[in-house]
Order: sequence, then C-alpha cells, then structure tokens
Amino acid sequence: MSLFQLNVNGKVYAVDIDGNMPLLWALRDILGLKGTKLGCGVSQCGACTVHLDGVAARSCSVDVGVACLSKITTIEGLSYDGGELHPCQKAWVDLGVPQCGFCQPGQIMTAAALLKANPHPNDEQIDAAMRGNICRCGTYPRIRAAIHKAAGDATS
Amino acid sequence: MSAKVKVSRRSFLQAAGVGTGAVVFGSYLTPALQAQGLISNLINGFPVTGVPVVALKVNGDVVIITHRSEMGQGTRSSLAAVLADEMEADWKRVTLKQADADAEKYAVTFPSEVPATVILPYPYETIPSIRKPKLQYTIVPEGSQFTDSSRSMTAYYQVMRLYGAGIRLAMIRSAAKKWGVDPKECRAEKHRVYGPGGRSSDYRWLLLGAGKETPTYGEINAALKKPEEFRYIGNGKEPMPFYDALDMVRGKTVYGADVDVPGVLTAMIERCPVANGTLLYWDPKPALAVPGVRAVLPMFPPGFHAGGVGQAFMPHAGVAVVATNTWAAWQGRRALRPTIQWDKGLHGTYDSQKYRQELETSTAKPGKSVRSKGNVDAALAAGTPVEATYYIPHLAQSPMEPPVATALFKDGRMEVWAATQSPDYAQQVAGQVALGNLPTLPIGDENVEKARQAATVHMTMVGGGFGRKSKPDYIAEAAMLARQMPGVPIRVQWTREDDVKFSYYNAVSSQHYEAALGPDGRPTALLQRSAFTSFFATLFPNSDTPGLSPAELAGGAQLRASLADGGIYPYGSGIERAQGLEDMPFDIPNIRIENCEARNHIRVGWMRSVANIYHAFGICSFADEMAHAAGRDSKDYLLELIGSGRILPLQDEQVAQYRNNELPLKIIEVPDEGGKMTQIVPGYPPDTRRLRAVAERAAQISGWDEKVKQYKNMKGRGLGIAVHRSFLSYVAIVADVSLNDRNEVTINDIYGVIDCGLAVNRDRVMAQMEGGIVYGLSYALLGEITVKDGAVVQNNFDDYPILRIYQTPKIHTYIQEPPAEVVKEYGGNVPPTGVGEPPTPAVAPAVANAIFAAGGPRIREIPFNKKVMVL
Repeated sequence: MSLFQLNVNGKVYAVDIDGNMPLLWALRDILGLKGTKLGCGVSQCGACTVHLDGVAARSCSVDVGVACLSKITTIEGLSYDGGELHPCQKAWVDLGVPQCGFCQPGQIMTAAALLKANPHPNDEQIDAAMRGNICRCGTYPRIRAAIHKAAGDATS
Repeated sequence: MSAKVKVSRRSFLQAAGVGTGAVVFGSYLTPALQAQGLISNLINGFPVTGVPVVALKVNGDVVIITHRSEMGQGTRSSLAAVLADEMEADWKRVTLKQADADAEKYAVTFPSEVPATVILPYPYETIPSIRKPKLQYTIVPEGSQFTDSSRSMTAYYQVMRLYGAGIRLAMIRSAAKKWGVDPKECRAEKHRVYGPGGRSSDYRWLLLGAGKETPTYGEINAALKKPEEFRYIGNGKEPMPFYDALDMVRGKTVYGADVDVPGVLTAMIERCPVANGTLLYWDPKPALAVPGVRAVLPMFPPGFHAGGVGQAFMPHAGVAVVATNTWAAWQGRRALRPTIQWDKGLHGTYDSQKYRQELETSTAKPGKSVRSKGNVDAALAAGTPVEATYYIPHLAQSPMEPPVATALFKDGRMEVWAATQSPDYAQQVAGQVALGNLPTLPIGDENVEKARQAATVHMTMVGGGFGRKSKPDYIAEAAMLARQMPGVPIRVQWTREDDVKFSYYNAVSSQHYEAALGPDGRPTALLQRSAFTSFFATLFPNSDTPGLSPAELAGGAQLRASLADGGIYPYGSGIERAQGLEDMPFDIPNIRIENCEARNHIRVGWMRSVANIYHAFGICSFADEMAHAAGRDSKDYLLELIGSGRILPLQDEQVAQYRNNELPLKIIEVPDEGGKMTQIVPGYPPDTRRLRAVAERAAQISGWDEKVKQYKNMKGRGLGIAVHRSFLSYVAIVADVSLNDRNEVTINDIYGVIDCGLAVNRDRVMAQMEGGIVYGLSYALLGEITVKDGAVVQNNFDDYPILRIYQTPKIHTYIQEPPAEVVKEYGGNVPPTGVGEPPTPAVAPAVANAIFAAGGPRIREIPFNKKVMVL
C-alpha cells in the first residue's frame, strides 16, 4: 500500500492503496464514483472510459500509480458539478440514445474527447473514434446521430 | 376471432379480492382501507400495503410503482405513461418508484376463473415452484415480475389503462359532487377537472372525495379513452416520456454493482468449468495472503445437484474469495486458481465441434412429428427436390453489465440488491438460502410462502439482460456467501470472462429441410427437421444429469411433462417448438415438421428471441434457396409462400398444444354489470395477413424491385429478405450488402418493418428495432461459443466479438399498421404485442440471402465470418 493523490473532477483525494490497482476500482470502490463501469476489464469495450488530461482512456487498464500523474475526469465531472449538461449528454437525451444505459457513460466520455479534438467529425471519424466502445443494446445509429447533433450545438 | 369464452363477472370480482363494485380504483382505495382510516397514510406515506401500482400524494403528484424490470426496452416509462395517459396526469407530476420483488402483491391483475372447457393462457398450478397469487389466474404465467418473452406491454397495457381510467373517473365524480353538477358535464385534462361555467380544479383538491368513489369495472371499462384521445400513447398529443434517460447520461443510474451498502465486501468466484462438476480440493492460503482478502469459502456441499444438465438455474460449483474491494478479490482469485482441483464429471469430455456431427446425424433421421398435413413422402418423391441443412452454434447473451448481486443475511432474513429480470425467482432462492436450505426453488405452497417471507429483493436498473439475467444463479451465489457471513453484506461481482464462460447458452441447433417443387416452381411439400438442445434439459433432471436416483429421474420427467407441454428428454419443449417451428407460416399443401433428438452437455438458457433464432434462420434461408431453385425473385417467391394470408389452422394440422407466447389465440370476455360482454384479454392468433403486409412494406421502403434490376448489372451487390412472427409481432427485414473480390462483406443498409399492434411508445419501438437488428447482425456475422473438454473456449470480447459501430449499417425502421381487415376484426383496437425480441430473428437469414444474391456463397451456418470476411 502506498499513498497516492488522485485529482478527480477537480477535487484532490488522498488514498492509501495498492499502486497496481486499476483506476476503475479506485474510482468505484474507494472514491464511490460509480458512473464509470466495468464491462470487460481488458480495454475491449470502453464502458470504463474516463479522461486523463482531457484524453479518453480505459480506466480498467490504467493503474492508480500512473493515473495519479494526470487530471482525471469521470462522467460525474463532465457536466460541471451537475450543472449544465455537456452537449453530448444533451444530444443523448434529445435523441433517446440510451436503452439499458450501462455503456453510455463510457460512450459519452469517448465522444466528448473526440469532439474536443475534432469539433466536426464526419461518420468515418466518428466510427474510428468510437470503435472501442461496445453497446450490446445496439444504439450505434443514434450514437452517430447524437455526436453530429452535439457537434452542431457545440459550435452554435 | 369469433369464438369467445365467458368469465362470470362475479367470480372475476371475487378473485380480484376487492368485492363487487370496486375493481380498479378500489384496489388501492378499498372500503376496508378507508374504514381503517388509512387514507391519510395512503396519500402521505409510501409504500402502503395493498397499493400495487399507484398512489397520489397530498399535493396531487402521482407515484407510479414500476413492478417490471427495466433493462433497456423503456417498459418502465411506457407502462407508467399508459396509466398516466388514461388518468390524464401531467407527466411533470409523475415520479416512478421501482418495486421490490413481490410476486403476490404484483400479481394483482385479471382474469380469474374460467370454465373448464377453456384453454387458459396461464394455468398457474402447472408451475409448482411458483407461489400462486390470490387470483387463480393472472396475465403472466411465470410470476408477475418475470420480465421476459417481450410480454410486459402485451400483458399490462390494459391493466394500466384501467387503473388510470378508474382514477380519472373518480376525480371527475369528486369534482361533480363538489360543484353539484352532472359528472357528464365534466372532463379531465392534465391533472385538472373542468366543469360547466368555467369551473376547474386541480386533482389535489379532489383527492379525498375521489377516494370515496368506487366506480365499477364496467363503468371504468366504458370510460377508457378512444385512440384519438390518447395523450402519450402512440405520441397522441405529447411525446412518450423517457424517465431514465437523464440519469443514464449523467452516470447516476444505479445498476447492480452501484448499490451503496455500508460495509460491503466484494466476492469473486472461481467456478468449475463444466456443468455438474464438483470441487475436489482447494487451498485458501495463497488467496488469504493477498492484502484485503478476508475469507475463502467453498460454494457447495459435496453432491449438490438440482435440475438437469447445468443444475436448473443454480450456480456451478466454485470457491469464493471475499475481500474489502474488487481489486483485492480479483487478485485473491488469481492466487487461488492454481490450487483448485475439480472433478469435471460426465460432461468433461464435451466437444462442441464433434457434437455438431451428432446433431446433423439426428436431423438426417426422422424425428417426432409436431405438425403434419397431407402426404409429404408421396409429394417429395414426385417433384424437383431442394434440400439443405443449417447449423447454429451455442451463443452467449453477454449484456454489457456482467451479472452482479449483493446479499445481507441478518436476523434470519436475506436482503438482496440485484439487477435481475426475475425478481420472483430471486426472492424464492434467496429465501431458501436464508432458511438454511439448499439454493433451489422450493416446492409446495407452504415452503414457497416461507421462502417469500425470508427474503427481500430490491431491483436495480438492469444493464442489459437479453435472457441472461432471467436466471438467478448469481443471486444464489451472493445469498450463499452472505449466509456464511451473517451481518456482512456480500457483493458477488462477475467478470466478463465469467459471463462468457458461465452463460446459459442459447441452444446449438441443426435445421434440416427438404422440399419438392412443382412444375410452377412452388413447393408441393415441405419436410422440416429441427434439433436443438432444450433449456428444459437444464431445468429438469434427465438421463444426462449425473448422480441422480431413478426416483429423482422419474419425478423430474413427470414434472417436465406437466409444464408447458414440456415433452421428454432429449426433445424440445412446447415453448421452443412454438417459436418458429410448429407455426412455420408458409402455405404449402403437404407439410411434416419434426423435432429430433439433441442431448445436453452444457447449461442452456435463452437469448433474445430464443428458438426463433435457429428456426427463422433455417426456414427463411431455405425459402430463398427454393426461390433460386425455381428461378424466381426472392421477394415475389416469399410472398407466394406466405399466400394471401390466413390464420394458421394449427389445431387441424396435428399441433397438440401451441404455446402462443402464453397468450390466448382467442378473445376472453366477461359480462359487465348490465350483462354486456366485455373483452378482458384479446386474441393473438398467428395471422399471415400481417406477415404479408410487413413483407410488402419492407420491399417497398427498401425499393426492392428497382434495386434488384439495378444490382443485376452490378458485381458484388445484393438484396435479401426474410420475415418472421415472434412474441406475437410480425417483422420483415431486407438487407442490402456488398461483397468485394477479397470476399469481404459490407452490410450497407438494413430495412426493418414491424407490426406490433398498437405501438404504444413509438420511439422505443424504433429503438428496439434498431437494437434488435444490431443484435441479430452481431451473432449472424460474429457469434459463436465453442466448448472443448467440457469448458467454454471463449473468454472476453476479443474472442467472442460483438458488433461495433463501424460495422453497423444504416438502419431504416418502419412501424406497420396492421391490415385494415385485421383492425376491423379487433374493433379498431389491435392490442400491443412484443417489441424487445421480434426484431432479431429475421436479420441473419436476410443477410445470408443478400450475400448469396451478391454472388457470395450460400451460407448455411452461423457465424458468417467462416464463409466471408467480416472486417
């Protein structure tokens, strides 16, 4: 066990844990931030996606010892302390994207990072950025549409 | 639909348990409750005993209890909105509360006693392990909260409407009395009653008066809205609400693993890889040496067995590592693994590749006839033969949320929090464990009631179900561990690998077809043979279950035979046979349909659309093969096979007892107060007029005729079509695919048309079509579970791939109105039917047919990536 400082959603937490613990479990079990989900545990599905310094990362495969070097943003921190929704979140609601909803925090975190890097992605760019995120309910067509919609809102 | 049956009104009301005069509204404002002065509790407090569905707060706001599981179909919002619609509630003043598991409380619905001559949709007493509700018969057979078989809206649409209309009627009467006017002069709109002279009142000021009103069933039934008056249903005046969307996108929705139980420990379980295997040896020391690990516990007493191959829906043998957090449990399990020795038992040599030959041998021979018409052998000998055999492997549901459950054993009771499609089963199993019994379903009313009293099950949002979470094995695991650590909440967390390796797999199947084509190219005879590993072989003891006494075997066989026309091992059950086998829709003069032997070696359950998966793939692929053999256009030929449309005369064709998704083929009616017959459950016969209509619509919206001409001159482009009725709904799929010189396939477009009767929530119907099509594409192109040495070979999404966004085509969906004559026969109200599963089955054959049309190989097995490249 070692002491780590984790900067999550603008707050700094001191945690005394195994440095090899994946960030996913530190977020969920230690900090109680449960919007980030376990889907596969091996970076295959994207359900655990968070931002490390604004870049999408799979928290199941990033150790706490590494994650502590970055500013971490989770789905709970995306909409600025529960205030206004991120354009992706708004588009997701407007277009009724979620079905079971379980993968959607991860989808939204990946999409938000995409829009930050590329404010107006085309379908191919969306597919390339989102290919790591699985949705078993099959909401892909609406995810594509919602990203386009969020891109419009973000620039208007 | 002319045959009608009678249910006496008196018995109906008695069985509803509310006395004459107060059926719907009265069921939460009964005279007894009023007499006890509980009205104020009712409107102030929550929950209230005897309140099955809805309550109003003092300020007039409405709380609707959602008693079904929500796993992505939007049922929770939709059913509540149906009630709110009839009630004329303002959705802004509606909140939803998820019910706990309580089969008895939420089984409050109808009908009740019916004459012995009537074939009932739901004979409860045939399910010995499930407690009978106070009503003799209810809408749903398996227990009222079992969210499965695409049945929530079908079963509860009318119930929710009656609750809502009853409240609206009581509000109107309350206002009329207050104002001294005739209720006929008043109307309700969005939480207000409007009367003559510009008077109006919010519902909140009418509550107490309304509570004294006891409208009768007949009055409520007569007060139901006409379709043009709907507010939310079918997007009448306002869009249907989606209650959970906002929490979902903010990460606030609570799924199985997200429940906050103070002091919870996390358990991970190393399981025997083979069904019915046993634990021989383990060493807890290496796991206990991992920091944070608190306990290492074996899961089963030696010699435990229940049910058949795969122990009913109870867990595999295993050893659990219990720790302070998930990561510690994960590491502890890793340390434990090498120390364990299993006795893999009888099924330790199962090899699914070899088994395929066994299945295909089975369908090469005659099986048990399940439907027969005319003389197939003579006709087959006369015409041009067409023959094909199709193979569908084991498939895993793999919802995004791996199974997870938390249990706390305290003061002799079990409290459970879980994502489950089957709250009632969960409660029964958890209760059994709390009582110190083995984790099986109890038998006998007394034991069922004891188990019910011994456990509370809180239902969380379900992060995808697809049939996996209908089985309570993971809940039994949590309860068994909690029982060993009283006072400590235990969360059993499954990994993706656990989920892939310990699913209840959809049946592996061989489908064999022979036809003879006449001089006009149309079939004169069809022989169909279906072999599939039945999930009844997991539920009930059979000759491939190790360790059973002859008495247990005989008892199991008897129990199985008594349930749902269950058949005998190693054949399929009535439920599976009714999913696209017995109800094969094509109009062919000579038909023989057979069910062939299939022995089980791993546990089998069901996956989105279940037996329809292999039956639709087989018959719709074979229809296309016949079309090509006849040199005809696939779509034209398919329409000819369907014919002009009819209600399938299954009883005339030797189908013993067709399980129509457990809903009646014909209307059930009761007389109201005036003796007038009132429909309480509509009929849902298999009607190929509706199948034809969706096929025609799919051809139209896909531009079939023009594209077929266009693609004739193009290399590597093709269209395919397939149709299928399942869960009482009718679906047609057209696939448009490209195949390049490197044998790489691209799915360009999928056109999907559904007739689900009244589309209550149009947006969610579309969403289910989109999702169901993606699900179908996923297993068609990529899905396969294989087994070697008794153990599942696949591990995670890398070797059990799921369709990804870049592989997803453009999807075009269309909600088809039933044909006008059908609408007329239903008196203008075609009832809502399933939407969760029906979109899926026709996808695989439509795509296979399109690949062939594009110049590719004829694909006769799933997954297609064995024959074509899927990038």
